[in-house]
Amino acid sequence: MRLPHRAVPLLAQAAAFLLALWAAPHLGALWGAPFPDVQRPVWDQRGWFALLGAHLMLSVGAVVIAAALGLGGGILATRGQGRLRPLLDALFALAQSVPPIAAIALALPLLGFGAAPTMLALVLYACLPVLRGTVAGLDGVAPAVLDAARGTGMGAARVLWQVELPLAAPVILSGLRVAVVLSIATAAVGAMAGAECLGTPIVVGLANNNGAYVLQGGLFTAWLALLADRALALLAR
Amino acid sequence: MIRFDRVTKRYGHRAVVDSVSLEVRKGGLCVLLGESGSGKSTLMRMVNRMVEPDAGRVMLDGTDIANVPPESLRHGIGYVIQSVGLFPHWRVADNIATVPRLLGWDAARVASRVDALLQLVGLPPEDFRARYPHELSGGQAQRIGLARALAADPPVLLMDEPFSALDPGIRRGLQVALRRIHAETAKTILFVTHDVEEALLLADELAVMQDGRLLAHGRPAEVLRRDADPVVKRLFGEATLAFHRLGTLRAANAARPASATQPAEAQLPILPPDSNLKQALMLMLESGTDQVALPGGATLHLSDILAAA
Amino acid sequence: MAQARPATLARDLATRAPPPPVPREATAAALLAALAASLPFLLGWLSIAANRLVSPRPVSLPLHGGTGLGAACFVLGCLGVALLARRRSLLPWAEVTAGLALLALLATLGLGAGAALDGGARLARAAPGAGFWLAALSLLLSAGCCAAGRDAAREGEAAGATPTRFLAVAVPGIVLLVASGVLDPLSLMREAASRGPELQAALWRHALLAAGALALAGLVAVPLSLLALRRPRLEAALMALANGLQVVPSIALFGLLMAPLAGLAAVWPALRGWGIGGIGAAPAVIGISAYLLLPLAAGLLSGLRQAPADILDAARGQGMGEGAILRHIRLPLGAGAMLGGLRTAAVQAVGLATLAALVGAGGLGAIVFQGIGQLAADLILLGVLPVVGLSLCIDAALAAAQAALAPAGRRG
Repeated sequence: MRLPHRAVPLLAQAAAFLLALWAAPHLGALWGAPFPDVQRPVWDQRGWFALLGAHLMLSVGAVVIAAALGLGGGILATRGQGRLRPLLDALFALAQSVPPIAAIALALPLLGFGAAPTMLALVLYACLPVLRGTVAGLDGVAPAVLDAARGTGMGAARVLWQVELPLAAPVILSGLRVAVVLSIATAAVGAMAGAECLGTPIVVGLANNNGAYVLQGGLFTAWLALLADRALALLAR
Repeated sequence: MIRFDRVTKRYGHRAVVDSVSLEVRKGGLCVLLGESGSGKSTLMRMVNRMVEPDAGRVMLDGTDIANVPPESLRHGIGYVIQSVGLFPHWRVADNIATVPRLLGWDAARVASRVDALLQLVGLPPEDFRARYPHELSGGQAQRIGLARALAADPPVLLMDEPFSALDPGIRRGLQVALRRIHAETAKTILFVTHDVEEALLLADELAVMQDGRLLAHGRPAEVLRRDADPVVKRLFGEATLAFHRLGTLRAANAARPASATQPAEAQLPILPPDSNLKQALMLMLESGTDQVALPGGATLHLSDILAAA
Repeated sequence: MAQARPATLARDLATRAPPPPVPREATAAALLAALAASLPFLLGWLSIAANRLVSPRPVSLPLHGGTGLGAACFVLGCLGVALLARRRSLLPWAEVTAGLALLALLATLGLGAGAALDGGARLARAAPGAGFWLAALSLLLSAGCCAAGRDAAREGEAAGATPTRFLAVAVPGIVLLVASGVLDPLSLMREAASRGPELQAALWRHALLAAGALALAGLVAVPLSLLALRRPRLEAALMALANGLQVVPSIALFGLLMAPLAGLAAVWPALRGWGIGGIGAAPAVIGISAYLLLPLAAGLLSGLRQAPADILDAARGQGMGEGAILRHIRLPLGAGAMLGGLRTAAVQAVGLATLAALVGAGGLGAIVFQGIGQLAADLILLGVLPVVGLSLCIDAALAAAQAALAPAGRRG
């Protein structure tokens, strides 16, 4: 790959992250220091790597589904005369007013506790940036290029596949990047609904008044999100 | 080769093309001349079915194109537009190779065709085949656009104001190049423009349009003659019409033969061969004389120009 | 003269302006309205459960008397939306009709629930069926489509699909319906009734938290933006900070703020007297305001830069100082964009405040979490619906303000 030298700091950070995860159970003194009243400062209810794995599966899985839906929806919305466009605008406006926790909470009675309601909410939320990016990217293709493409006798499907999508790719990918970061952040909230992830220690800690748990969970969740953002920014270039 | 049979196109209640009948003969370069909104581009785009007529038929080499699937129709028609529309993410060679690849040509044949076309449009292949469109100047890009249109050797070429966005010097070079290519390849070309000079330079046949209607059609000299349709006169303006008419008349036809009684001819400015009366007039203005000489000894007076106009 | 008239009339009729084209929003809006009209009948208006322990079972709507009338009004309303949307000039009225249709839907539901429960045991619960929820969602989206069409004519910041007119009709209407008692038979209303004071306190608290966070973020964003206007490095740093904060998951940020705040309160006990501590409003407000930094700063900077360079040049040429320029030129011309930033921030604040309950700050989130803990749909709805409603209303109100201000800026 072309980017080894730029990727080195990122890889170093990722390594540090994993190292910290591995070392966390041994750092009781560190976690307990701000919270002298807490008797069991070290999180040991579930392995950190298991939590990390579950978190990533949830986020990445949701993004894959959302990417397919968002890409498909964006393509559909730009075909024809844009009759579906107002629907997309209406959806975006509504989605802004529904916080992720509300979406997860609403899905709970339907899907029960666990990963399912979180997954549903994640897919719905991650769809939106991908939709936005796809529509913006496809809109940005110069009309002259499309006219010339049709004029050479390319069929509609070929124009989409060989001309429109490659030219829209940078904007679509930036939408995908937003979707991934959003997904990782929102998955943490899913711990409230029983999803297993890096947010679980936060929720357990809050329920049991264990500030040390909250600190550990918060630290690693934030760190993962920042790492993911950095990684995707690098990939974008 | 191309025949429009009472074609009409309406947008809303407005007839953008109003019952136009026109025939373009095979191998000719027919220029559609008119102002913006005259319907000339719309008419041209009916030939490759980018626009479908609401009434009338378009016949291509005897076949009604409504019966031909649009994609295969367009494979056989070259299409050049003002903003060129090269695919920014493909190299020049790939852009030119668009239609040949669609037709399934093998790689070797495509590559040699690309190089041949680059040479035809006057760009060295080694230098240009690997470039990207953003590395091209306006004139170079439009030459590539022309090469792309010619790639699969279509018998018909549609050109929609292809040089209008270019600087005058570049435009001139491309017009000359087009004349040369037309002479070499004998394709049927339908060329749309609003520039009268360009039309007169390129046209074998001139078709003047206004408000969706065909006002006049024929050789440039016929369309611009003194007793032309009053609507045509009003469109160009009488004075401009006369001036452009000069461009259709050969200087040699109006000149006086060489005579022994003009010893001063050695000092007269000399017209290039095959000049027209417009060029003669401009030479007179430039030199400040009322006489010019032609190669071969004939002379031309200002009064001769006035008589011929 | 009289004879000439028929001829001229015929000519006038022939050349009369063609009928205006159907706006593209019409398809989406009409489709959604049709969907809304049919869904309750297809998927069920109502579910009844004999008591709290049993799951609700769908029940067909008793379609006589008031209920039938309500259902008819609802269907007519949906039809009205579909028809009115066919003319661009009537799109605002289509939106209003969607609001009225929603009210009819609700009224029908309430009346139907009352009729269905009539004679049933006191513990029986009536909940809206899937058809109702989807119909309400469809109507909301349909109104959004109409709103998108309206704003599409006006370019610039005010573009968006917030259904202002729909909300202007629906929200007061819902308040009226609630007050009139039509909706009382629904289990959701019964829950609300039994938790009246708690709900009110939570709503008030939620609004305060959001407002507090906005104020705090504004206190930081405004001076920094003004300074960053002419200092590219400060601006880059400010944007990097604001963007970086966006990436941190909110639940993590709230959690991480607890430790330092608890520590501060331990060192300075006086802070506890002010309510600042590891738990409570402090971590919530500070955490929320961190996320508001980006929309506020971006909106402020964008607004301050709206003024074209040549106008600024003319102003300076006349001897206006930077302060005067700010007051008389930048602020008026940039008001629209700045309001846009405020609008995004306000909506985010309301959404984020829902999580505030996690750190003990109260608010509507507390009710949602209770509902999650008990897996009680009614409690969850009781918490979520006001949050969504509040967000939509704030979005609509600020959108209207933005639209009112923006054209004035353009005229200058």
